[in-house]
Amino acid sequence: MEMKNDNYLWDGSDPPDEEVQRLERLLEPLRSDPPPLRLPDSASRWHMRAFVPLVATAAAVVLLVGVVWRTRAPQAAAWEVASLAGRPRIGASAIDTTGRLAVGQTLTTDAESRAQIDISTIGQVDIEHDTRVRLLETRAGHYRLALDRGTLRAVISAPPGQFIVDTPSATATDLGCVYTLHVDDDGTGLLSVTVGWVAFEFNGHESFVPAGASCRTDAHAGPGTPRFDDADHEFQMAVERVDFDNSGVDRTAALRLILDRARVRDAVTLWHLLARVRPSERGDVFDALAARVPPPSAVTRERVLALDRGALDLWWNALGLGDTSFWRQWKRPLPSPSTPR
Amino acid sequence: MDHALELHSVLSALTPRDLPRLHLTIRAAAGGDRDAFARLYADYFRMVHAILLGRVPRRDVDDLVQDVFLTVFTRLKSLREPAAFGGWLATIARNRATDHLRQTREQVELPKDMPGGDSIDADTFAVLDIVRQLPDAYRETLLMRLVEGMSGAEIAERTGLTPGSVRVNLHRGMTLLREKLEWK
Repeated sequence: MEMKNDNYLWDGSDPPDEEVQRLERLLEPLRSDPPPLRLPDSASRWHMRAFVPLVATAAAVVLLVGVVWRTRAPQAAAWEVASLAGRPRIGASAIDTTGRLAVGQTLTTDAESRAQIDISTIGQVDIEHDTRVRLLETRAGHYRLALDRGTLRAVISAPPGQFIVDTPSATATDLGCVYTLHVDDDGTGLLSVTVGWVAFEFNGHESFVPAGASCRTDAHAGPGTPRFDDADHEFQMAVERVDFDNSGVDRTAALRLILDRARVRDAVTLWHLLARVRPSERGDVFDALAARVPPPSAVTRERVLALDRGALDLWWNALGLGDTSFWRQWKRPLPSPSTPR
Repeated sequence: MDHALELHSVLSALTPRDLPRLHLTIRAAAGGDRDAFARLYADYFRMVHAILLGRVPRRDVDDLVQDVFLTVFTRLKSLREPAAFGGWLATIARNRATDHLRQTREQVELPKDMPGGDSIDADTFAVLDIVRQLPDAYRETLLMRLVEGMSGAEIAERTGLTPGSVRVNLHRGMTLLREKLEWK
C-alpha cells in the first residue's frame, strides 16, 4: 500500500501531492471556527432532574440567543501570521508569506523558518526557529497562546492580564511588557523580561518577574525564583540550585551564597525566597532581606516567619520596584505559601 | 487485553511533556475551572468537529459539538485516566452522532447535505459524501487532515492513536478515496 508523497499527506511537507492539495481546497470550506462555548452555571445544577422543564426552557432561550448572536456576530477572529523566514506551518499547511491562525490551530516553525503573529490591536509575537504554538483563545480582553516548545518574543501593549501564554510548566501573564519565553522539549523553560512585568504561575505557585530579570521554570516544580540578569553567574546558579535541587549540602551552600552576595537590587529575589525556603531557613532570609531593605514598622519578624500575607505585601511595597499600582489592580504580588523545596 | 493495548497506544501517543499538563488541565476542568475547560475545548474542537462532520448533516454539526462538550463538562469527573481523554471524548462524539441520527430518523427523513443556503461549492459536498462512505477510522482521520488542517502528529496527539496508526489510516483512507473519486 505504498503511496506517493507520504510526507505531504502526513504533515503538508514537500513535495506537494496535487490530488491531496485539490482535496484540501475542496474540503477546507467545511472547516468551522470554534463558537463561544456556553456552559451551564454549574455541573451539578445541570443534573437536577426536577428542573428539567426549566432547563429545557432556558436552553431554548439560549438557543434563540445563540442563533441571533451567530447571525449578527462577525466571524470568529483569527490572528494574522507573516513568515519572517522559510515556510512556517499553520496546521498542515505551509505559508509562504502570510496566513491566518484560528483558535485551536497550531503554528510550527522548523530550523529554517520564523514567523510573526499580529494580535489585532494589542501587539506582536515573534515565533523563533523550532517552535510550536497553539492559539487557545482570542476575544476582547482575553488572548491566550500555548507555547509547546521553542521560543517566542512578545511585545504587548494590552492592559495587564489580557495576554497569557501557557507552557508545559508555567503560565506567563503579561502585565504590560516585552519579554522572551523559551521552552525545552522536556518542559523546562526560561522567561526573560525586557520591559514591564510578567507574572509566572503554575498550580498556585507564583513568581513576579520585573524588567531586567529572568525566571526558570521546571516541568515538575513550576516557576522558580526571579533573579536579575546582571547578578553574577554564581548567584544566578545558586538561585537555580535552591529552586530545583533538593540535595542537602549543595542546596544549603547555595542558599548561603545568595544571602551573602545579594545586592539591594536583589531584594526581589530574597522576597520571593521567603515563602520558598524551609521554615528553619526563613529567619536567615528575613535577616538578609532586612539588611538590604528594612521592613516597614508594621512588618514584624513573627508575621513574616508566619508568611502573613499582609506583612509580605507591605514589605514588597518597600522594595522600590517602581509604581506597581497598574498590576496591583490585576493581582496582588503574594508569594504562594507553598511547600518549601 | 484489548483495553491494555488501547491504553498503551494512548499513552505512547502523548509525549512525557504533554502528560502532566493535560493531567492538570483535566483535573482543573473536572473541578469546575472554566478556563481549563476552555483550553480543552480549544484543543479538541477540531477533532470533535471532524468526527461529527463524518456522520451527521453539516447544518447540525456545530450544535452537536456544543452538546458533546456540555456532556464532557458534566461527566469529566468520571474520567479516571486523563491520558485517555482524547479517545473518551471521541467516543462521546460518535455516540452523540448515533443518537442524533436515530432521533432525526424517528421524526422525519432529512435531506442529505446539499449546496445552497451557503457559499460552499457542490463539488465540496460531493467529495464529503464520498468520504462519508469510507470506514470510520479512515473517514475521521482524513477529515481531520483535509478539512481541519491538522497534521498527522496533531491527529495522533488528540485522538490518542499512535502516530503509526494515524499514518496507516491516512494512507489507506487516501487510497480508497482516490479509487472512489476516479480523478484523472
